[in-house]
Amino acid sequence: MLTWLDQRTGLVTLTKDFLTEDVPGGASYWYAFGSATLFALILQIATGIFLCFFYAPSTSTAWESTDYLIKHVPAGALVLSLHYWGASAMIAFMTMHLLQGLLWGAYKKPRELQWIVGVLLFILTLVLGLTGYLLPWDLNALLASKVAIQIAGSAPILGPAILSFLQDGSGIGTLTINRFFGIHVWLVPALLVGLVGLHLAIFRWNGPAGPPIDEAPKLKPGRFWPDQMFMDTVLSFAMFVIVVALAVFAPAPFDAKADPNNTQFVPYPAWYFLALYALLDVVGKFPPAIVQISTLFATIIMPGVLVALLIVLPFIDRNPSRRPSRRPWILGITALTIVGAIGLSFFGQYNVVEGQVARGLVGGTAGNAATTGGSPQIETQPGNNANGGGATAGGPGSATAGATVYTTNCSSCHAANGQGTPSVAPPLAGNDVVTGDPQKVIGIVVNGLNGKITVKGQEWNGTMPPWKGTLTNKQIADVVTYIRSSWGNKAPPVTEADVAKAAGGK
Amino acid sequence: MAHAEAYKDPGTPEEQTRRTFMANAVLALGGVIGLGLAIPLVTSLIPPNDANADPWSPLTPDEIAALKKATDNKPVKVTFMLHESNGYFGAVDLEQFFWAIRADEATMRKKRPQLFEGIEKVPYPVVNLGFVVFSPICPHLGCKYTWTDSINKFACPCHGSQFTNVGEHVAGPALRGLDPLPLRDFQGKVQVEWIEYKQNTPDHIILKVG
Repeated sequence: MLTWLDQRTGLVTLTKDFLTEDVPGGASYWYAFGSATLFALILQIATGIFLCFFYAPSTSTAWESTDYLIKHVPAGALVLSLHYWGASAMIAFMTMHLLQGLLWGAYKKPRELQWIVGVLLFILTLVLGLTGYLLPWDLNALLASKVAIQIAGSAPILGPAILSFLQDGSGIGTLTINRFFGIHVWLVPALLVGLVGLHLAIFRWNGPAGPPIDEAPKLKPGRFWPDQMFMDTVLSFAMFVIVVALAVFAPAPFDAKADPNNTQFVPYPAWYFLALYALLDVVGKFPPAIVQISTLFATIIMPGVLVALLIVLPFIDRNPSRRPSRRPWILGITALTIVGAIGLSFFGQYNVVEGQVARGLVGGTAGNAATTGGSPQIETQPGNNANGGGATAGGPGSATAGATVYTTNCSSCHAANGQGTPSVAPPLAGNDVVTGDPQKVIGIVVNGLNGKITVKGQEWNGTMPPWKGTLTNKQIADVVTYIRSSWGNKAPPVTEADVAKAAGGK
Repeated sequence: MAHAEAYKDPGTPEEQTRRTFMANAVLALGGVIGLGLAIPLVTSLIPPNDANADPWSPLTPDEIAALKKATDNKPVKVTFMLHESNGYFGAVDLEQFFWAIRADEATMRKKRPQLFEGIEKVPYPVVNLGFVVFSPICPHLGCKYTWTDSINKFACPCHGSQFTNVGEHVAGPALRGLDPLPLRDFQGKVQVEWIEYKQNTPDHIILKVG
């Protein structure tokens, strides 16, 4: 059977040839990081293909289809979480693989091009992490990606062009999701697979670099198959077990649907971007005179220079020795960068948690914000709604003041004329819930509303954010009074006491 | 450069045993990974069971009026809203229709005996409230047929199957006559039950109810 196949295709010979490879000094778990990264890539492609069976990229379906995947598709939440944690595993192992190449001087002649292709793979994988972040279109997806897009747009010269490419001109909207989807699902994976092939082809041409000693090529060779392959498989298997365990016990976070007007949510970056996030925070506190240039430095110049240095490293570091003891400069700079990145990451994590505590939000922490599928991250603390307002408790709301509150907070969805926006928010004009029981309409403003409702014979399935904590009781009384007496609605005003009752009752 | 140097020496018998173990371990662990991945991935493709709980769709007064225009010779087309779940869009009302004629049990037993006895038998009453209601789906390959006055028959545009006013198959490739749907008066409301049968078989195999 195999002979029959080989005679016609040569595939068996090719596979045998691929597997009979010398490993200088014998097999080692130290050489398994690259193959573990490759395994993570395969895991991501497999789970990603299945996610594509359910996901639909647009502002009106991205969150809904993800929500459906989590709640209704058998094992859907598990597949999503495998993809989520698989991404972390891929980046973690790839970082170790890169650091090892750096510390062991594996980029030196004749492996310069293999190194450069590797750095490109690293960048492309980070792009995957970044673009994948927007796709679920939940609060964190939108707000965290907004920061990332703004940073990309602040680059000198190319910034505006990048911004307009990522957003399609008109701000983060449905076409942005499509662009990110195209980049995340087709463009980068296609480049990645091609470059991985190149990385491996060059690897086979030069052979493994071996341990970081100058006599590595003279070491007694060990076998790739099955000795090294066994260790590669054991490491990949260990990674797989950890990823499955994380996916089962800490499902991917999924917040309420993206809402550009949400003023409460504290976005949290993926752990591998925490250092940059913290750096941005640090330079933001610099004196106003230098804050702009230092922000540019932190977000564009410094990461750009680091990446450029990594790419040209084989041509700068012409010291032929691979012994760490003879390369103090490279190792020193690497160590400093690692320590700095870890320190900044912890600081960034601390900031995220602080921000959430400061705003009275109870939630997970950035790195492991593992809210169970579907439940919103935001849980406003009960009794937190007095928020500086309501000195004259009990008075009726003012429709004039309410008009201002409405224009600022409500009109982007419910429209200035109260007619609503198709498939986003129902009309308030002629809506008998608005003009009916005051407790009911106040309750919706105070606590928000999720799920299916029928308004004037039409079905709606949007998300109304909760406004307590953002608006004072007085403001809520004003705006409810306003919507009950505008656009032909004729219902009596509501009082601040009504609002306090509705808010307290929940 | 030198290639496969390490493979020139076959090694001691002990090394060979160890290598056999490692090769088997690679295959075993690889198999476990493959299974561990395949199980959730394939599971996710099983359609979720969120079928409509109530298979009966109510008819509005206008739709009932349209139904009542049916005679025992000339069928009428009655549109109604069918409540269906549509993936992440959730439950939606989709416009659907059926064809109806007036008939009594004795006529139907005479004109389409196969519906009552034998291979074409349907598991529901054929005549309800004095009407026979036909699914709009052609039993050949699922196109929607239409009543054609010029030939006084139902004709399917796709492959030319033809049926009489009582749904008897008279021409074309279809393997059975038109499929009757249950109709009922439930607490004063007229309701139709949507049923999809497997196409291109002579017998009635239910694929979907509601």
